[in-house]
Amino acid sequence: MQRYSVLLRAFAAQTSSPVQQASGYRRAFATGARLGDEVQRDSDGHIDVEKLLSEPAWSVGSLIPAEGQQTESPAISSRQLHHLLRLSALPLPKDAQEEAMMLKTLSSQLHFVKDIQQVDTTGVEPLRSLRDETAEGEKEAELGMAAMKGALEQEDVRGKYHRRIRRRRRSGGMEEKAQEGEHWDPLSTAGKKVGRFFVVEGGKDG
Amino acid sequence: MKTPTARIAPLHLSRTLHSSFHANLRVPRASVVSKWLRSRNLTTAPALAQEAVPLRKHLKDEAKRKKAEAKINGVAKKLKTDPRLEKWELAVGIEIHAELNTECKLFSSGPTEGSDGVANSRVAFFDAALPGTQPQFQVATLLPALRAAIALGCEVQRKSGWDRKHYFHWDQPNGYQITQYYEPFAKNGTLTLSASDGVPTSDLNGADSIGIGIKQIQMEQDTAKTTHHPPSTYHIDLNRAGHPLIEVITLPHIHSPQTAAAVVRKIQAILRSVDACVTGMELGGLRADVNVSIRERGTEGTGSSYSGVSGLGQRTEIKNLSSFKAVEDAIVAERDRQIAVLEAEGVIEGETRGWTLGATETTRLRGKEGEVDYRYMPDADLPPLVVGSDLVDHLRVTMPELPDETVDRVERQYGVTLKDAKTMVDLDDGDRLEFLEETVELVLRRSGDQATDQLRVGKLVGNWILHELGGLLATTETSWATMTITPVEVADVLVNLQNKQITARVAKQLLSTLNDTSTSPRPSVDHLIDEGNLRLRPLSDEGYEVLAMQIMDESPDMVAAVREKGQKGKIMWFVGQMVRRGEEGTVEPENAREVLERLLSD
Repeated sequence: MQRYSVLLRAFAAQTSSPVQQASGYRRAFATGARLGDEVQRDSDGHIDVEKLLSEPAWSVGSLIPAEGQQTESPAISSRQLHHLLRLSALPLPKDAQEEAMMLKTLSSQLHFVKDIQQVDTTGVEPLRSLRDETAEGEKEAELGMAAMKGALEQEDVRGKYHRRIRRRRRSGGMEEKAQEGEHWDPLSTAGKKVGRFFVVEGGKDG
Repeated sequence: MKTPTARIAPLHLSRTLHSSFHANLRVPRASVVSKWLRSRNLTTAPALAQEAVPLRKHLKDEAKRKKAEAKINGVAKKLKTDPRLEKWELAVGIEIHAELNTECKLFSSGPTEGSDGVANSRVAFFDAALPGTQPQFQVATLLPALRAAIALGCEVQRKSGWDRKHYFHWDQPNGYQITQYYEPFAKNGTLTLSASDGVPTSDLNGADSIGIGIKQIQMEQDTAKTTHHPPSTYHIDLNRAGHPLIEVITLPHIHSPQTAAAVVRKIQAILRSVDACVTGMELGGLRADVNVSIRERGTEGTGSSYSGVSGLGQRTEIKNLSSFKAVEDAIVAERDRQIAVLEAEGVIEGETRGWTLGATETTRLRGKEGEVDYRYMPDADLPPLVVGSDLVDHLRVTMPELPDETVDRVERQYGVTLKDAKTMVDLDDGDRLEFLEETVELVLRRSGDQATDQLRVGKLVGNWILHELGGLLATTETSWATMTITPVEVADVLVNLQNKQITARVAKQLLSTLNDTSTSPRPSVDHLIDEGNLRLRPLSDEGYEVLAMQIMDESPDMVAAVREKGQKGKIMWFVGQMVRRGEEGTVEPENAREVLERLLSD
């Protein structure tokens, strides 16, 4: 919850930034009352909830540039578009019309991304996933002697005079795997195969 | 046609009378008889006094001549490349990918060994990237990784992360490789090398050893194996997909190709000694990528820097070198190419290049990709890796001996030479050294109350185990693992030898007999000696003299060679004859030699 309010305050703080005046570019959230302040309260300090919710304070339409609006970001070249499509393993555009549409879509997507990038995130660690970040959680996740006991028991010390550590090797192959319950044939998922191998056509179109 | 240097060739050189297409030598008009003789390759000149040169002498002279030539040519070659190297300085950084010695893969329970090499038989659901599968870190893979980090002197980080490196390729079913880009698990190590590891003196700068900095070590997944079937078909084997690798990245502290090869060799030896990575380069278990740049001495290059090392030139990367020699040759070729480009006022481009065995120059594979193209991103499916300090301390304390320490100890304790010690430590996964140590202890124990010097015994035992046993194994084509001789038997033989109960020749014979005997029942060494009547019955001085005189009488020309021509080496031939002629186990070479020297100097 703390992070969310920080974000909101950051958005709110942007509405009066000099950037807005200088270029005539309208901030996305500058449509109505600023969230966090100017919420109407009566003399007892209560909020009129119905009145607050009667008008939208923000629309997602503000994330897309209005028709004819100039964006600040430089135009994306056709070469850059093709590079991105290759990196994403997506098919290249069939004709100039499709390419123009792709460029337009990409440009408006970048408009949205730029909005997000305006948020001030100094001192905020990126959230990678929801995990237990408490000290106890970290202690549980720690791999120490207790966690590695099983692995350490799988090793022998070889030699009496010249002592070396050697991992004990398992000899069985197929039978052991069946015990683990992962007895399946990967090639059953193959579109094309030859003997025990998957087959891939590496030509220019493939 | 070439103008001859001499208009008239001296007649006594028969060679000049042969016709050759170069020669346009004028000889005085010859008579009919001499013409006839010439046509039959005969001359009227007296034959050159040709001594029959013995074959050994001839071969020795040839070898001497070749060495002298090579010396002259070598000096000339050095002079040729030196000026360029005086102007240009090389900086090399190495990235080594080594397969970890584990039971399971890194993020799945797929086994890494077994199933007799059948393709696509050790594949877990996550390795095949079936939709919905999740990675699960296998904790056992941490052990060899931590040992590798400790052995290379790195600081193990308590917390490290897993990141995705995105690119599409058929050997990467998931579409990304899980690696540790932002937070590797070990940083800031050092590797120490000395002249005996192969570092040239120019790099040592007067010191005993140099330290190569290791920037970091990270764990990552291996890709699948692909085989190319021309023209454009590829066969994929997913057995190797997901196998744990460590990537060891060194700083650009390396300044010569020989040092680079030495670094790779040393790292392989260290990783093998701590059981972290046991498949070597020749089996594809260890691969090296090198980054090469040059700069003019005394300048800051193009001002590039890498991880704190500044003043470097633009670097290029050579990928997938799979042998030590390839590392050295590829660096030499790339350095020469870069020097040629820069001397022609060109500019080096940062690109990725490849090297094939036997090539003379590296080939361009692709331009250097910006790292932003890989879209590195923390993997949300995996929690951060948290390593407990108690585990690291335990592993540090129980770390096996590193190769440097072992070689040093063997030299000090057993009086073995450096070269022999290095060979012994590498052989048979350390089993031969174990055999040596056990045998030395047995010999010392059985030598009774005689004050025995461990160094002397060690030298003797070391020599026998390395050279004699080694030779025996080679001639009988046995491997060390299947050899049936035990340390007890070797100790018995050598104790008998030490006490002059048997001769060295008999000792060798005994070992050979023991090798041929099956495992049970095994006769004891003493039993064998008694049975074969091999115990040394030392010959009296008279007996030696009689035998010596006998042999001297039979070969008077050899006697003459020693007495008159002073060829002292021939005495050993006499010794050999005496040993062969005398009864088994009676003639000792040292005594024989003394007697012979006495007799032959009269």
